[in-house]
Amino acid sequence: MAPSSYKKYEKISFLGEGQFAMVYKARNIETDDIVAVKKIKLGSKEEARDGINRTALREIKLLQELSHENVIGLLDVFGHKSNVSLVFEFIDTDLEIIIKDQKIVLTPGNIKSYLIQTLKGLEYLHRSWIMHRDLKPNNLLVNSAGILKVGDFGLAKFYGSPSRINTHQVVTRWYRAPELLFGARHYATGVDIWAVGCILAELLLRVPFLPGDSDLNQLDRIFSVFGTPSEELWPGVKLLPDYIQFKPYPAIPLKEIFTACSDDLIEVADKMFSLYPMKRCTATEALKMPYFSNRPPPTEGSKLPMPVKQSEEEPSGKPNLKRKLLDQISDSIPGKKRLQF
Amino acid sequence: MAGNFWKSSHFQQWILDKQDLVRERQEDLKHLTEEEYMKVQIFFSNFIQVLGEQHKLRQQVIATATVYFKRFYARNSLKSIDPFLLAPTCIFLASKVEEFGVISANRLAASCTNVVKNKFSYAYPQDYPYHSKHILECEFYLLENLDCCLIVFQPYRPLLLLIQDIGQEEQLQALSWRIINDSLRTDLSLLYAPHQIAIGALQIACVILQKELKSWFAELNVDMDKIQEIARAIVNLFELWKGFDEKKEIAGLLEKLPKAKPNVAPNATR
Repeated sequence: MAPSSYKKYEKISFLGEGQFAMVYKARNIETDDIVAVKKIKLGSKEEARDGINRTALREIKLLQELSHENVIGLLDVFGHKSNVSLVFEFIDTDLEIIIKDQKIVLTPGNIKSYLIQTLKGLEYLHRSWIMHRDLKPNNLLVNSAGILKVGDFGLAKFYGSPSRINTHQVVTRWYRAPELLFGARHYATGVDIWAVGCILAELLLRVPFLPGDSDLNQLDRIFSVFGTPSEELWPGVKLLPDYIQFKPYPAIPLKEIFTACSDDLIEVADKMFSLYPMKRCTATEALKMPYFSNRPPPTEGSKLPMPVKQSEEEPSGKPNLKRKLLDQISDSIPGKKRLQF
Repeated sequence: MAGNFWKSSHFQQWILDKQDLVRERQEDLKHLTEEEYMKVQIFFSNFIQVLGEQHKLRQQVIATATVYFKRFYARNSLKSIDPFLLAPTCIFLASKVEEFGVISANRLAASCTNVVKNKFSYAYPQDYPYHSKHILECEFYLLENLDCCLIVFQPYRPLLLLIQDIGQEEQLQALSWRIINDSLRTDLSLLYAPHQIAIGALQIACVILQKELKSWFAELNVDMDKIQEIARAIVNLFELWKGFDEKKEIAGLLEKLPKAKPNVAPNATR
């Protein structure tokens, strides 16, 4: 991939804005391909002194090494001075939009298909020693052929170096694993698996499963479902930096929450929602569980539902209203918010 | 670092062909002999090393910065960007990529000024002419010319694995490690896979320490011809280096370099 000039791309419409970047739909005037251009904001004077934005650099560095059907592809990078833009394949929609679209019915086969694709992408990342650290429905992009791709690598990081300390301020709160909320600095791919568990639950419920409004409330919500952890259930939990004692909750069997859900899927959810990170399943282990080979089979990509009005072009320059509303809703949530597309 | 070398951008895009390398250098070789070109490369590798040490960087970061420097000039003439500017820029980018933490461009420019004045005045008697804004400007050209390939695999980790296999050999490990550091002054990182360089360094270390490991080497599943080429290149480096009086020669060599026009970007598009 040789970087190219910004003149190669013609803006079509505005897609969204986040803390670090603006995203546009654009056309490559040489090939006519539709792409998504993520233009990194210049930020404060102080940030400008740091040169090329580190978040962008992280995405460039990692995506340049990755190639998998279920991982977003970086097509190009352009810009000048510190003003960098990343060019991605344009992907029609994402799981957040699909989940929120009342007209869409998510059958057990559809859910299985999304989960398999998410886990395959994640398995590939983890095998490449990369933690994503910000999985959530609107980072799981879905194209019109029903292919799901993991996107937004702004927080992704290599793991596996035992001495390296990580920040716990990652992952949008609702999808954040309990060890992160307790301030763990040595965590691993389990944080991504927890997030997949939350996404699985959201696919079933069609609303966020654990929408905490503060870090404490998030833990409270987690424990009120899975029970308050003890040293026996989670060895070392009391040693975590931000550990605090919660009132003892009993665990509620997931079957009572997801009443319509098949037992084999409950089994998967149970493994992903292990409070003790070491007991959580890996992506590879999850994919081997009976649910994924049992009936019904995953829905074929071409038969997966798409939100309506996908093909319509937005009037140039104007934000997609629906997307903007979604952004406003999510922007009102305190905590770390980032842009995805 | 992580991941699979055989699927990496390093292996797929940045293991170059010796002939191509020589061809790309024709422009510079009009002004310098091949030996002089190597001496200039030795000098700037030293410069990057000293600069990195000023900022207490890990050797991994310094090595990555050095490989960036090599990759840039593998495709561009020394006149496209002044190496005195590209060197700190490589450090700047490498420290971010290796998640070392950002070194401020201001501090970097300031330490360049100091290092040039205090340690390299024999090579560069004038004041160091670049400021942080030049480094920031140069960073993107560097990224472009690297084709955005930022992850570099180094021979250090393969070396540790090989040493583990041989058995505890501290002296051998320390010496091989230093030879790998030295190899950064050659083109080896552009031409060979890191594990091959590690084996080449081990072989030379064995010769120096008079260690008999022939049967161990024989069992390695590598192309021994390549290892010989690597060993030969390192020996050549040592010989050249021995006869290279940097303090005396370098100013003259730098004088001969095709000169960069100030603040002009290389022809980045290919």
